Amino acid sequence: MNHAIISCLHANLPAAEAVLNDIDRQGIDTITCLGDLVGYGPQPNEVVELIRKRDIATCQGCWDEDIIDGLNACECSYPSQLAERRGHLAHQWTDDQLTDENKSFLASLPTSLRRDRLLFVHGSPNSQHEYLLPDMDAFAALERVETAGADILFCGHTHQPYVRELRDGSIRVRLQNAAHDCDQGEELTLPMRKIVNAGSVGEPRHGSTNATYVIHNDATDEVEIKEVPYDVGRTCQAIVEAGLPKVFAWRLSHGFEFAEQAEDASHVCER
Amino acid sequence: MIERWALVSGLRGDLETYDLIQRDLKKTRGVTSLFVLGDLVGPERNCDALLDRIKNPHRGDLKPDCIYGWWEEQLLAERGFRGERKADALRLSQGEDAVNALLNTVNPSNLNWLASLQFGFIELDCALIHGSSSDVGDNLTSETSPLILLDRLTRLNVNRLFTARSTKQFHLELTGGGINSQVKDLNGKREQQQEVPKRSVIGIGAGLNYTLYDVGSDKTHFLTAGSQTKTKGMGFA
Ligand SMILES: [Zn+2]
Ligand SMILES: [Zn+2]
Repeated sequence: MNHAIISCLHANLPAAEAVLNDIDRQGIDTITCLGDLVGYGPQPNEVVELIRKRDIATCQGCWDEDIIDGLNACECSYPSQLAERRGHLAHQWTDDQLTDENKSFLASLPTSLRRDRLLFVHGSPNSQHEYLLPDMDAFAALERVETAGADILFCGHTHQPYVRELRDGSIRVRLQNAAHDCDQGEELTLPMRKIVNAGSVGEPRHGSTNATYVIHNDATDEVEIKEVPYDVGRTCQAIVEAGLPKVFAWRLSHGFEFAEQAEDASHVCER
Repeated sequence: MIERWALVSGLRGDLETYDLIQRDLKKTRGVTSLFVLGDLVGPERNCDALLDRIKNPHRGDLKPDCIYGWWEEQLLAERGFRGERKADALRLSQGEDAVNALLNTVNPSNLNWLASLQFGFIELDCALIHGSSSDVGDNLTSETSPLILLDRLTRLNVNRLFTARSTKQFHLELTGGGINSQVKDLNGKREQQQEVPKRSVIGIGAGLNYTLYDVGSDKTHFLTAGSQTKTKGMGFA
């Protein structure tokens, strides 16, 4: 059966509607959302209400968490002071706009969802703020999936969709100095695992302005990355009218050129 | 100068043990540094005398460099040094009595000093941490999955991780292996091959059991303070 995974809607209503229409057109009725319903974009209430109305299973994203808990992420989340100021501005604006009811909905979201061997999270199983980039250390990537007890890990947060297969892994170890003087090494064979990043519906950073999401077939394990064009101009205009930083609109209308990402994406926030 | 480190943990207020270790080190050739990897305090006994000795070394003592451990974390959290967090891990595992016992073992005048201790040291290409960078309570042993051990080394980008939380003494080397990875995105597919880097995780022990590490030769020696037999060949004068 095909099911769809969406992430990082970021208060971009035209993009969210376009992606849901695309999924509906294919007759897919199981949808999982990996969070970041709000932040950056101009229509946080509308997007949250759309997800609630459609009753889409959703886990909590980094922006959803920060709106509830306050901005206490360490500076590692931002690549520059300028980006940090803009981030704070968007946070404040979103905080002012969101209704109490929508805030409590965000607060009620779980940090992960599990269906059999499939695990759904926003950033990583460790944290909504950890980036699993496509080229991160392969052993560390496998550790995230394996420690969480999943075969396939679905994540978002990087805004770049990808499918990564980790296979034929092994680690040889040897005990030095053992009390019972056995110097023979041992080899651990690692299991095959997959990480699927759903990209971003409302704030894509993969090089084009199209919204992205993924479809997974749970019988064949095939994954398809989908691109959906939407009315970018409508969202950009709403950003400007809302008084949000213009660079957010600029970024949407240019694809990835103005993408901002924490420099040290492997940094694990200790909070 | 050739460096030789002494690594100690899990004293839990036991000044007698610390004194025995200091005596051992006095008789051992070439020890250049003493690292105490946390758990200076514990619930069993009053810890103030040990903390005083650590802060004000006797003449002839090797001066210790300390980080905080799991027990300090519990104490400091319960005393309000960790924001909202309390000694939840201790409360969950050993109950309210254990929390109260811990609070009574340290004079409040020592709390600021304990709170000033760092989470870990990076020395050369080695990390010295009570648990791991993942958590001060990360319980790494030679039985821990090598995948997790490799992850803890990768997070810090070090070749050696010295850890104390498990109280075990071990020196596990990652000697080989690899993994294939294929990434598919909207630009196509790419393959990647990665090898296991030669790295190791060293458990330094606790209490009387401590470790000497020869930095130049990457050799560990697992010792027990006060026992002469095991220390043969360790350059005793
Ligand atoms: Zn996002
Ligand atoms: Zn995010």
